[in-house]
Amino acid sequence: MQKKYGVYICTGCGIGEVLNIEKLESVVAEKRFACKTHACLCGQEGLDLIKADVAEGTNALAIAACSRRVNFDIFKFDGCVVDRVNLREGVVWSHSRDVFPGPVTEDEKADEYFVDRIQQMADDYIRMGMARIEKIAIPAPYKLENFSKKILVIGGGVTGMSAALDAAAAGYEVTIVEKEETLGGYAAKMRKQMPVVMPFESLIPPVVNDKIKAVEASSKIEVKTGTVVARIAGQPGDFTVTFKKPGEKIEFDVPLAVPEEQRVDANGKALDVDQIRVIYNQINEGRADVLTFDPNGVKYGAVILAAGWKPAEVNAEAWAHLGVGHADVITNHQFEMMAKEGKVVRPSDGRPAKNVVFVQSPGKDGDDADFDYCGSVTSMVALKQAKYVREDYADGKAYVIYQHMRTPGLQENFYKSMQQDPGVFLTKGEVTAVEPTADGLVVTAGSTLLGDEIQIRADLVVLATGMVPATKEDPVVNLAYRQGPGFRDIKTFDGYADSNFICFPYETQRTGVYAAGAVRRSQTIEESMEDAAGAALKAIQCVESANRGVAVHPRSGDMTFPDFFFQRCTQCKRCTEECPFGALDDDERGTPKPNPTRCRRCGTCMGACPERIIGFADYSIDSVGSMVKSIWVPSDMDFTEPPMRILGLVCENDAYPALDMAAMNRISYHADVRIIPVRCLGSVNVIWIKDALSQGMDGVFMMGCKHGDDYQCHFVKGSELMDVRSSKMGDTLVSLGLENERVAQFEVAIDEFDKAPELINKFVARIEELGPNPFKGF
Amino acid sequence: MTQKYMVEPDLGFINEVIGLGGDTLKKCFQCATCSVACPISPENKPFPRKEMVAASWGLKDKLVGSADIWLCHQCGDCSTLCPRGAAPGDVLGAIRSYAITEYAQPKVVAKMVNDRSKFGLLTAVPAAIFAFFAFLTVFGHEFFARLFGGEFWYHTHDGLPVPGIAASNFISSWFVDIVFVPLALAVVVVFGLGLKRFIADMHANAVLEGKTEKADFNWKEYGQALWKVLPTIGKHKKFSECGENRERATAHMMVLFSFIGLAVVTGLVFVGVYFLHQATPYSQLNPIKWVANVSGVALIIGVFLMMKNRLARKDQKSAYKDWYILGVIMVVAVTGMLTQMFRLGGVAFLSYLSYYIHLIAIFHLFAYLPFSKMAHLVYRTAAMGYQEYSGRK
Repeated sequence: MQKKYGVYICTGCGIGEVLNIEKLESVVAEKRFACKTHACLCGQEGLDLIKADVAEGTNALAIAACSRRVNFDIFKFDGCVVDRVNLREGVVWSHSRDVFPGPVTEDEKADEYFVDRIQQMADDYIRMGMARIEKIAIPAPYKLENFSKKILVIGGGVTGMSAALDAAAAGYEVTIVEKEETLGGYAAKMRKQMPVVMPFESLIPPVVNDKIKAVEASSKIEVKTGTVVARIAGQPGDFTVTFKKPGEKIEFDVPLAVPEEQRVDANGKALDVDQIRVIYNQINEGRADVLTFDPNGVKYGAVILAAGWKPAEVNAEAWAHLGVGHADVITNHQFEMMAKEGKVVRPSDGRPAKNVVFVQSPGKDGDDADFDYCGSVTSMVALKQAKYVREDYADGKAYVIYQHMRTPGLQENFYKSMQQDPGVFLTKGEVTAVEPTADGLVVTAGSTLLGDEIQIRADLVVLATGMVPATKEDPVVNLAYRQGPGFRDIKTFDGYADSNFICFPYETQRTGVYAAGAVRRSQTIEESMEDAAGAALKAIQCVESANRGVAVHPRSGDMTFPDFFFQRCTQCKRCTEECPFGALDDDERGTPKPNPTRCRRCGTCMGACPERIIGFADYSIDSVGSMVKSIWVPSDMDFTEPPMRILGLVCENDAYPALDMAAMNRISYHADVRIIPVRCLGSVNVIWIKDALSQGMDGVFMMGCKHGDDYQCHFVKGSELMDVRSSKMGDTLVSLGLENERVAQFEVAIDEFDKAPELINKFVARIEELGPNPFKGF
Repeated sequence: MTQKYMVEPDLGFINEVIGLGGDTLKKCFQCATCSVACPISPENKPFPRKEMVAASWGLKDKLVGSADIWLCHQCGDCSTLCPRGAAPGDVLGAIRSYAITEYAQPKVVAKMVNDRSKFGLLTAVPAAIFAFFAFLTVFGHEFFARLFGGEFWYHTHDGLPVPGIAASNFISSWFVDIVFVPLALAVVVVFGLGLKRFIADMHANAVLEGKTEKADFNWKEYGQALWKVLPTIGKHKKFSECGENRERATAHMMVLFSFIGLAVVTGLVFVGVYFLHQATPYSQLNPIKWVANVSGVALIIGVFLMMKNRLARKDQKSAYKDWYILGVIMVVAVTGMLTQMFRLGGVAFLSYLSYYIHLIAIFHLFAYLPFSKMAHLVYRTAAMGYQEYSGRK
């Protein structure tokens, strides 16, 4: 691409008042780039100015105006590379002349040694913008050779069928695969279910039967019962799926990942990648490799995982005080099965169970935790099953002893209506004992509404065991991915399939696979049906995005994808290992095979690659590195007291918006800082940090999202990976004679705009104490 | 309270309380807004939250014998503020009705009084009695005058029937009192038996729930405590502490003092008739008549206001028991006044008819007193006395 450069400086929104625009123009002139200024670039006149140049061949534009987060739809020019130099939020709004004064008197203006920090900042940002447009290119979409829009739904329960019906209604071909011989799943095994429509008051017959009829009547839905997925190979838009009978062993069974315990030697030391690969090959003996595609496989574009749940096992040891083992102490699952068959009776002698106690929490040693995998659904199931007792016997009494009674949303109406039944008794409390008597059981509960210690005579005790997601023990999706057949366990979701519970429902850690229903969290039938619609829409978004060669999520519409310069690959496998989405499958030599439609364009591979051979059209080691190098680092040859230079690599998802918001609130941070937005901290390659320090910059900080249990990283692992990488940098720094503290990493949430500048200023103060980088001036 | 408590919900109790106007008892979700809102609830074991919990669990034993249900004056602050649309005030009211029937003997009568379908039967009894006595008076007064002597029979100095229209010419005061004096004694006995059990239960409940530190019950101290609370009751102090109650307090006070006025009148007239041979009717200039008329009018106004208040309050439940007692009092007051007015107007038939209905209504009021809502007069006084006695704050 032959580039013709143009720099456009906006002087509106306070930029012209704070900055010396002529000085900025002179910075542009150093590069001999064309430069134009306007008082309102985003206005019609300003845009016409740019468009006229574009019409005459200008195709690489640096627009020095507001943040890239605003007016992105206005400053968009087809066939051009564009950089947005953030003079408004990044410079003039976030830096006050009261703190960083400019030259005022004639003497000051004439003094070429006057340190005008804000002006220097703007100058650098212009340089960085120009450096970037020199390095980036216009992306071309990645097009798949084979392409399927069909959607595969795993699980023929109420969620799977709802998703299939929704996708079919939108015009997509769907296949439902169900391991059991009939459709319906757990929802078909119930006596009654919770309400799904207003007024949410009474129990209704299971809605699943209507779903089965609708699925059977649909011409767009193919149903495969008694079938499971052996493997799903390939990538979104072009998955190759192998089906099999449950329990069957076939060549195309999915290759397994090496379990954690086999990744270390006898002394607990981590094995290297090649040793792990040997073990990998051993455990997958007889199975076709992930790169071998089943010639008889069926093509699909996206997958909806609606594998549902299993009732939790009874923990006889931990729940011994609840009478586990006695015939009349059963689980809510067993109760449901009994209620479906007929009247509620005592399993021990078949006599009517008229006094039933529903226990919602194991309640031991003052711990108010519920049973594992319990939640609002088990609360409501207890109310539902209490109603069964009342339906079966006019003089029946149902007691629910809970630590938490959760009835979210309009299900509160259901709670109210169940509570109205004279024979349903509810109390918060801690069940401390269930003991057999001559005729039945006696339940003892403490800390109840009725007193410190109460006892209830019971014919039957029902324990609220939870709903364990099907993905806890078994990957179910069986992806033929090098990282393993399931979603990576990030030790946050207890086996539930989810990549970020709040921000990105339905997304999993595998692009093109969308989870819905109880596999995502315990859900009612009502919630599952709504969830199914969400997952169906995501699956449709995925196939349509793959079709256009753009990213699905969270960089929806991004046309770039990682490009590998394979000649220099050393097969270290770091990219394959670190990719949070399992997008890369390496071959037996260890060369990564990219699967661009699996990719979310976070750049983690680029950050991980020690050879720096991975890059995107508009975001690469070189483009960011050149920006770093274009920053002017003054030394004592320039000024008697040279200002510091501190580089900030800031995540564009949460931290960068937080800084923009700080600017809007005119919260200031030190003007010696130079910010470069990055796609994710995971994409930060340590070479940028080394470059910055070796050219004399005094410190480097990374600012990204929170990690840990409540991680907010858009790419799951980015800030965590960066943490590991920068901790490993310590030795390098020491060998250079630099202090560890010159590199730091911060976490901010998007709403912590008051905190972000504070963190920066503290860091700057710390660097000031350390003194200037000794490399300055070399 | 550390001993284990065997919870045995009484479904029948729940259903009865629902039927008596406590149909919201199952709506409670134990937020305790009611106990916070209640202006007269004590700090130690406040009501009505604990009552709501016990009621929704059908724990009759925790409620019926508790003084707390009587400390409530049903102002409705709790019901107005309840976020769940439950009406603790009405539930307590219903439990009180239940408690009244629980302590009143014989239970058969108690059940009938609170049963709308038995109203006819309960009315037929006095109707028959007074019809019979009217027959005897009208057709047999000469026989009785001969038998007992005219002065004695007619209570007149001249031994002749009262000239003109007089109630005793329709139904002799002898017959009226033959009915009401034993009835009053029976009522006292019924109340006495009920109270004995009630006070024992109240004390047992208070000890069990830690509402008092007095382990043994002392009748003398209790009597003194009762004496101490009488001014509080008279001034309706507790009643008017309730925010929603100011208007009701006025009406209630009018009714209470009217009854006291009429009781005084009845006593004086009794003395006048039986000991001084001053046969009724008395002159309108007689001070006794003044008290009677003022009380009568005040009673009508008071009951009218109570009915009006009750109708105006859409959020408060009104059960049969409530309308029954208001209706009876209204009929008593109105027929009493009408009897007098028709007498003064010279319309004998209507005057006697009013008097007949008046007697039936009074029979309702008296005979069914220990069984109807009116029994609160006794139980609430006993409970307020106990509250004073127990030293609970």
